[in-house]
Amino acid sequence: MEQKKIWQSFGELNQSEAFNKDVKDEFKEELPFAAEESNSFLEAKAPRRDFLKYLGFSTAAAAAAASCEMPVKKSIPFANRPEEIVPGVSKYYATTYVQDGDVVAVLAKVRDGRPIKLEGNDYSPVTGGGTSARVQASVLDLYDTARLRFPTIDGKEVTFEAADMSIADAVKGASGTVILTSTITSPTTKEVIAQFLAKFPGSRHVTYDAVSFSGMLQANELTFGKKAIPSYMFQNAKAIVSLGADFLGTWLSPVEFAKQYANGKKINEKNPEMSKHIHFESVASLTGSNADEKFLHRPSETAAIAAALLSAVKGSEVSIADKKLKEGIEKAAKALNANKGAALVVSGSNDVNVQVIVNAINDAIGAYGVTIDWASTLNYRAGIDADFVKLVDDMNAGTVGALLIHGANPSYSWFAADKFNAGLKKVKTTISFNTKLDETSVLCKYVLPDHHFLESWGDAEGKSGYISLIQPTINPLFKTRQWQDSLLKWSGATADYLAFVKNYWSAKVGGETGWDKALQAGVINPSLALSAVKGTFNGSAVAAAITAATSGKKAGAVEIVLYEKVGIGAGQGASNPWLQELPDPVTRATWDNYVVVSPKMAKELVKIDLNNNGQADAYEVNPPKPCVKVTVNGKSIELPVLIIPGTQENTIGIALGYGRSENIGKAAAGVGKNAFILAGLAGSTVSFSADATVTATGEKYPVALTQTHSRYDTAQGNRTEVMKELSLAEYMANPKEILNDREEELKPYGGIEKFEGQGTIYPIYNRPGIKWGMSVDLNSCNGCGACVVACNAENNVSVVGKPEVLRGHEMHWLRIDRYFSGDMENPNVVFQPMMCQHCDNAPCENVCPVAATNHSSEGLNQMTYNRCIGTRYCANNCPYKVRRFNWADYTGADSFPDNQEGIVNDVVMNMNDDLTRMVLNPDVTVRSRGVIEKCSFCVQRLQEAKLTAKKDSRPLEDADLKVACQQACPTHAITFGNANNKESAISKVRVDNPNRSFYVLEQLHVLPGVTYLAKVRNAEEEKAGKTEEKKAEKA
Amino acid sequence: MHLKYESQLREPLVNGDKNYHQVTEDIVRPIEAKPTKLWYVGFYIAVSLLLFGVYAIYRDVTYGIGQWNLNKTVGWGWDITNFVWWVGIGHAGTLISAILLLFRQGWRTGVNRAAEAMTIFAVMCAGQFPIWHMGRVWMAFFVFPYPNSRGPLWVNFNSPLLWDVFAIGTYFTVSLLFWYSGLLPDFATVRDRAFTKLRKRLYGIAAFGWTGSTKHWQRHESLSLVLAGLSTPLVLSVHTIVSFDFATSVIPGWHTTIFPPYFVAGAIFSGFAMVQTLMLMIRKIFSMEDYITVGHIEAMNKVIVLTGSIVGVAYLTELFMGWYSQNKYEGYTFWYSRANLFSPYGWSYWGMMACNVLSPQIFWFRKMRRNLFVTFFMSIIVNIGMWFERFVIIVTSLYRDYLPSSWSVYYSPTIWEIGFYTGTFGLFFTCFFLFAKYFPVIAIAEIKYVLKTTGDGYKDKMGHLEHVPVEVFTHSGHGHTIVENDAASHG
Repeated sequence: MEQKKIWQSFGELNQSEAFNKDVKDEFKEELPFAAEESNSFLEAKAPRRDFLKYLGFSTAAAAAAASCEMPVKKSIPFANRPEEIVPGVSKYYATTYVQDGDVVAVLAKVRDGRPIKLEGNDYSPVTGGGTSARVQASVLDLYDTARLRFPTIDGKEVTFEAADMSIADAVKGASGTVILTSTITSPTTKEVIAQFLAKFPGSRHVTYDAVSFSGMLQANELTFGKKAIPSYMFQNAKAIVSLGADFLGTWLSPVEFAKQYANGKKINEKNPEMSKHIHFESVASLTGSNADEKFLHRPSETAAIAAALLSAVKGSEVSIADKKLKEGIEKAAKALNANKGAALVVSGSNDVNVQVIVNAINDAIGAYGVTIDWASTLNYRAGIDADFVKLVDDMNAGTVGALLIHGANPSYSWFAADKFNAGLKKVKTTISFNTKLDETSVLCKYVLPDHHFLESWGDAEGKSGYISLIQPTINPLFKTRQWQDSLLKWSGATADYLAFVKNYWSAKVGGETGWDKALQAGVINPSLALSAVKGTFNGSAVAAAITAATSGKKAGAVEIVLYEKVGIGAGQGASNPWLQELPDPVTRATWDNYVVVSPKMAKELVKIDLNNNGQADAYEVNPPKPCVKVTVNGKSIELPVLIIPGTQENTIGIALGYGRSENIGKAAAGVGKNAFILAGLAGSTVSFSADATVTATGEKYPVALTQTHSRYDTAQGNRTEVMKELSLAEYMANPKEILNDREEELKPYGGIEKFEGQGTIYPIYNRPGIKWGMSVDLNSCNGCGACVVACNAENNVSVVGKPEVLRGHEMHWLRIDRYFSGDMENPNVVFQPMMCQHCDNAPCENVCPVAATNHSSEGLNQMTYNRCIGTRYCANNCPYKVRRFNWADYTGADSFPDNQEGIVNDVVMNMNDDLTRMVLNPDVTVRSRGVIEKCSFCVQRLQEAKLTAKKDSRPLEDADLKVACQQACPTHAITFGNANNKESAISKVRVDNPNRSFYVLEQLHVLPGVTYLAKVRNAEEEKAGKTEEKKAEKA
Repeated sequence: MHLKYESQLREPLVNGDKNYHQVTEDIVRPIEAKPTKLWYVGFYIAVSLLLFGVYAIYRDVTYGIGQWNLNKTVGWGWDITNFVWWVGIGHAGTLISAILLLFRQGWRTGVNRAAEAMTIFAVMCAGQFPIWHMGRVWMAFFVFPYPNSRGPLWVNFNSPLLWDVFAIGTYFTVSLLFWYSGLLPDFATVRDRAFTKLRKRLYGIAAFGWTGSTKHWQRHESLSLVLAGLSTPLVLSVHTIVSFDFATSVIPGWHTTIFPPYFVAGAIFSGFAMVQTLMLMIRKIFSMEDYITVGHIEAMNKVIVLTGSIVGVAYLTELFMGWYSQNKYEGYTFWYSRANLFSPYGWSYWGMMACNVLSPQIFWFRKMRRNLFVTFFMSIIVNIGMWFERFVIIVTSLYRDYLPSSWSVYYSPTIWEIGFYTGTFGLFFTCFFLFAKYFPVIAIAEIKYVLKTTGDGYKDKMGHLEHVPVEVFTHSGHGHTIVENDAASHG
């Protein structure tokens, strides 16, 4: 049946044109907005509709914008809790910090599955539980947002399987495969490499160190027949002479050496004895700053000094023109000869000849077998410059078919990076194993992301015989693979690297149980302490070395020294915000490198005379510093100038490790300039000093210094209440000098004994129970900064970035003050860690209107963040200026959330990234904007220790706790504990050192809880400023 | 209370032969007339400054105190400098109203109303700084000791900042009451002359139903005396307590026992200077030359030279003690950070010395005291000098204190710190312009008191009687006549 037609209108019935159009337009597809060409909104075709639409949209948008709530941060509990994880309880895993050749055994503190802090491993006899700033900071690298997250081929994301397949083809066909690495200390990795090399004939392994020890390795080969570095035992040396070796800061194994060195520097008050350290250097370094006596020389004179020292040690005449230097060499020779068999000479030079001469001196003074030990070698640096030079030539010649790079970054750190890069282009297959897309990796075809060491398995043998194991503390965060696994896979091994390591060590330590035990301890030590081996010194090369070294061409008017900084090193620390913000111990600068010049040179170069108060003040209080252009061999860089006393007057210094690519992290972007380009080859080794020309550019550039003034003597008097230092001779002559000074100062209040009661009109209180106290030995402290970074990590101390440091907004709870005293050109230097003194009569406490800072019954000066309203009165009234104010929302914890874009810089914003925030310690409140914070004596650790003792129903003991700074310190300069317990270490330190103990600004009657032990320097001179005082008394 | 005989040698306090009606006319005219163009210009400038200040504060509250250039060493800078400066300015009003009232200083009547208004506005401005300089201003209520569920957790009564809260709160309250009670009869006058209903209603409310009955007058005068009695110690206490913010600390340059009298003298000094500035402006803009006479100006200049010299002595005492104490920290602060012209902040110390100690000395010369231009110029100079004084005390003490390691980089303000300061100028002048437009700027009732005994016309007529022997005077009924004439001319 035909369907009946139903119509509503004639139009529909007849299907008229008008009807059809209406039907078509009834539900128009396009929005009836005003046509673009219409003159104005209201004249548009459908203004009313548009108006309503716009109105509706904007109302909704405004409502949405206005009703923005605090972002909800989700925390999700475990549905099924893993057995070993107890929320709120930390677990510690023994592992090892490895970075290039550096090795430090550590314990990783893991909270709820994420490592948040590294502590030194006490079981390691090498480091003795000490760490360095870089070790402490390395946990932050794990959570770096710049880390590579997946493998790439030509920059495109691929899977590991795809990459493996592609590489298998590429490598199979390649002739002349080279594995380029930084120094490898891992025995198993060496084995893995050996397997790989065996699999691919014609392949080789080249080791490259950014700052190489080639000269030393080669010198030892010449004189001992071993291309290795012996171990040093500074603890056995009564006389130490260093020719520019920064062994406390950056040279070989600073943590180990600092520990050993401090042994000779800690003094027993009753029988004061110290090692004597004489230092020769050109640019002020951390080690030079700690020396008992320091002599300045031009870098070109290094060889001559070494040769002169050798002849002086042998009793011949010293032929050095400079009077001061000659005196210094004679002094050094005298000290070395006086302590024959307990003396040591080290040199930081990379010149083979100099190192040969140094070996000859060490042989002459009987150092071998006592202070230098061939029984175990130091394996931290193994690169030979000549090998790398050859590799670069081969690459350019096109004889390298495949290059596998791990750890090495020559595109950044090789002085002729252009040549290396050109060679790299000629290599068909370039593979980089890296955690970040650094300067070299970015040029490689294949980039296979590597684990961070906290995600890895492995081992390290920094000092032969002393093994340290690496175990993962967290699942890999990204699609990364350990590079050893890649090598194993490509060489056709079936077992993975974990099995490899496990088998390797199980075989040596007695099976599965032994392995488990070793893993638990983290270290495998020789069962018996190795007895020292003298080695056989072959002096045949010495005469030639002396001739070669001292017959160099005459040096230019100005010379340059390129040095490493404690935190940044050769650039490894550049992407780490904690390390960038760690003030350099000597210059106290952050976030930049610069040209270090002497006061004398500054006078002529940039017209700043530090003896002129007006000029000195202007230089100090204004962050913009004059810039200079430094030219070496036609390459030049422009940098600001910092005037650092203790630098040789014709020498300038520039730190390496800056000017890195921003691919490696926001913290590195635009910070400083790369000074590696100024290095050069001298003979077969890379030389980090050269002739330079320096010209002032007339421009200024701000440098973020955390300490602007460096002397504690003023025209109005020497502020000896701040810092006390004296020479050993003085101390021997009058051991009670400091005590007497204090007694004299407090005489009006009945002397030291009665000062607490009589120095105030208020009643004094009993302090029963626990009374926390700290003591810092200024003799042991070498200023390395490990404690500063440890404090940052433990207490969630904010990074504020360069613009904020420039404005004096840095947040460090613990800082290391550095003071110069004495001669302006070659001063004495002393370091003073300064943190909240936890005063018993604290000036900050009584001024707070809301009692946000108050005193605990255990002697802590407490800060109650949620009570603080931010008047900053406490900070003003703190004589130690240790209180820090949250000037901006550095932590993203503010009540006005997410409004700091453009207020704080990218580095700080990045610290608040969800990934980076994983490093935060959940035991410590993250402070919000507008409140004061400061050192709490790690109250969270104290609380935990008290609970431990309570659970065991016993009184608290020293062993229950270590505060973060104390734990990190490689020299055990910091003692902490319950001062009311007569048996505690802190009580003993105070009782045993009555003559050296002092409180900073004791006369103020703030009753600090931190004792300092005065710095004693093994020198004959009188202490700084004292001569003037005596003169004044006479007059 | 002003019934007294005054020598012919004294200048009249009101010039021009005014009668009561003329006084009312002169003073109320600006309220009833449309504001001048000058008023609008001034008012809009003030409001824009105020708005910029509000924006500056908005930034500091939303983004943090890091909007300012303060640092770890210099925790207070322009904020507290400006606070102390405004509080100081807020001193003259109460001094003029209360102390001069108790001392029966008739000349105060010409200037007291405006001076009190200035006090109130200045204290309002001062109060902004301690509030907005807090890192977490939304928690500012923590400073009040109110019952709470946190323990209860009390404020820290040891803290001078808390004393400030009470001292300034009290001072503001009492000053406001004093000022307002004086305004009641004048508001009633304005109400009675009102020509619109709204005006009548609003001024009626403001006048609190004042009818001018004897009982009202009697109570009014008692209240004035009581409030004057209450305010007098406050004049001394407020700045004493503000000085405790510094004096009770341990910082060299702050820890000084001389501070209370030195601060009070300085406060009166700057307060009078500010009164001068404003009076000279009002005098000009509202043609009040007859009421704010050169005699008034001169009297205030005398106070300025006196208090200026007192602060000068205080500065020298500090310097002396810096040396005499042989305390190296004090010595450094006073002799190097401050008195050394070539030290980074030497300019501020010598700016202070030049403005506060040296330049006011020209007021030893009568000609200078009576020169309006010199007075106006000096009044500005003195306030600049007093700003320097507070800056010197706060910044030069802090930036180089005990540990040389924490000595600060050079502190100079950001635009937002300056904006906050100029914003308080905006607040001050906005209030002042509104006050000048809607309130009687001179106390009508009080002028009428002094008109009788020290007015120009009265003195003129009394001048003839000076020569009349006592017997003749008592028998001739002259006195009676004059009183009657006066009563007849009552407005």
